[in-house]
Amino acid sequence: MSAYPALILLLLSLVQPRIPAASYEGTVQALKAHPPAVDVVTGVGFALRLIHVSTVPATVVDSAGTTIPMAHIQRGDYVRVDCSASTTGLVADHIAKLEPRGSKAAP
Amino acid sequence: MSGPALRVLVVVGCVALVGCQKPIMPGDPLRNLNQAERATFDSGRVTFDEVFTPETGLGPLFNSASCGECHEDPASGGTGDEVELHASAFHPPLCDPLVGEGGFVIQLHTTPALKTALGIDSEPFPPSATNRASRTTPVLFGRGLLDLVPDSVILSYADSADANGDGISGRPGRFLDGRLGRFGRKGIVPTLDEFNDGAYAAEMGITSPAVPTEETVGGKPIPAGVDPVPEPEIPQLTLDRTNAFVRFLAPPTPLKANKTAKRGRQLFGDIGCAACHIPTLTTGPSPVVALNRQVFEAYTDLLLHDMGPDLADICLGETNPAEFRTEPLVGLRVKTNFMHDGRDTTIDAAIRSHGGEAARARDGFLQLSAEEQAAVVAFLKTL
Repeated sequence: MSAYPALILLLLSLVQPRIPAASYEGTVQALKAHPPAVDVVTGVGFALRLIHVSTVPATVVDSAGTTIPMAHIQRGDYVRVDCSASTTGLVADHIAKLEPRGSKAAP
Repeated sequence: MSGPALRVLVVVGCVALVGCQKPIMPGDPLRNLNQAERATFDSGRVTFDEVFTPETGLGPLFNSASCGECHEDPASGGTGDEVELHASAFHPPLCDPLVGEGGFVIQLHTTPALKTALGIDSEPFPPSATNRASRTTPVLFGRGLLDLVPDSVILSYADSADANGDGISGRPGRFLDGRLGRFGRKGIVPTLDEFNDGAYAAEMGITSPAVPTEETVGGKPIPAGVDPVPEPEIPQLTLDRTNAFVRFLAPPTPLKANKTAKRGRQLFGDIGCAACHIPTLTTGPSPVVALNRQVFEAYTDLLLHDMGPDLADICLGETNPAEFRTEPLVGLRVKTNFMHDGRDTTIDAAIRSHGGEAARARDGFLQLSAEEQAAVVAFLKTL
């Protein structure tokens, strides 16, 4: 029985029109399983915002150009999420695990 | 008077004039701005002091109605008596800035419309918070110079493993994306523009092209009709002007040091304060002549230091609760409350509040004679 809601969500994600919406870069705050989603903290200075993005089986996840399983994304990782907008909110088309931009070569 | 003698007198007079430039007062612009830069500084002062209302975008959550409401004393860009509230949740090694519950800045005021809709006078304190912090208003004088200190210079002072055994192990703060942070008491904001752009949203509830969305109310969407001004509530031009004003604010010329203050300056170095409060830094290249490769008085290393459990409050980014970025002491003379949370009302008390990596320098201060301690304070009051 529990597979039905997930199946319905999957079918909805396939049939709903999705419009490329935005890209967000930020830190993974939470990974949610039911329904699958990722929360990303992004922002400028002290103005931080939480972006909630659903993930679907078609979401491509990679690191340095190599495809990785979604399970390899962890809280605290720095990611770029390319999203489309659907009637149920943002849906991730592509999640790229990024290396932090700053030099970590501090002594 | 003969012709040659008169010429010598004129030359001596000119040299004396150049050598005795008018001191830079708090709120003054940098020297050597060109006409266009000075005009931007002047127009930026107007946007910095612009008072917002709900009809022009204020709120619905906010701490102040203008930049100048907090940064007001003794001039725009200075300090103020407001104390704001921050919170976060520390679950080592991760720090949660509580963005899902409204963010780490807890706005202390609401617009009448939000109060009517939700019956609240301030943002709800995040229920998941593990720590809270009070924050005073920092002076902004000379921050444009700090913005241009190269990362490599800051990193050259870092010694995260305390390899030299001096008890001081500074490390850089970092923003979400890993860039080196230099602004904010927790040192997480990489650039001055980002600090200002974020402040419009976090402190005044003003959206802009840089931050185009309003904050939630404790994680819940703003009720319909409460914030009728369309986003962004200010244009990029307003940000640009305010950023220019802050960037071009000069560090005030230190007051003339008397014999006691000069002795205090020597002691400040001798007891180890200057190991973190590094007296001078140098900017990197800039197209603005007044900011280009300038040696300036900073009294900071822009690094994070563990200040001990008595000062610890919130985490932020990679910065732990006990870590704080070394406060620049430029403009210290205009402050009336000291330390990040304003706990001390005298410089002497603030020095005694230092702990952690600063304990050795603090103890050095405590071992000075009363006259010598007074000399250190006298020196700091010239900044």
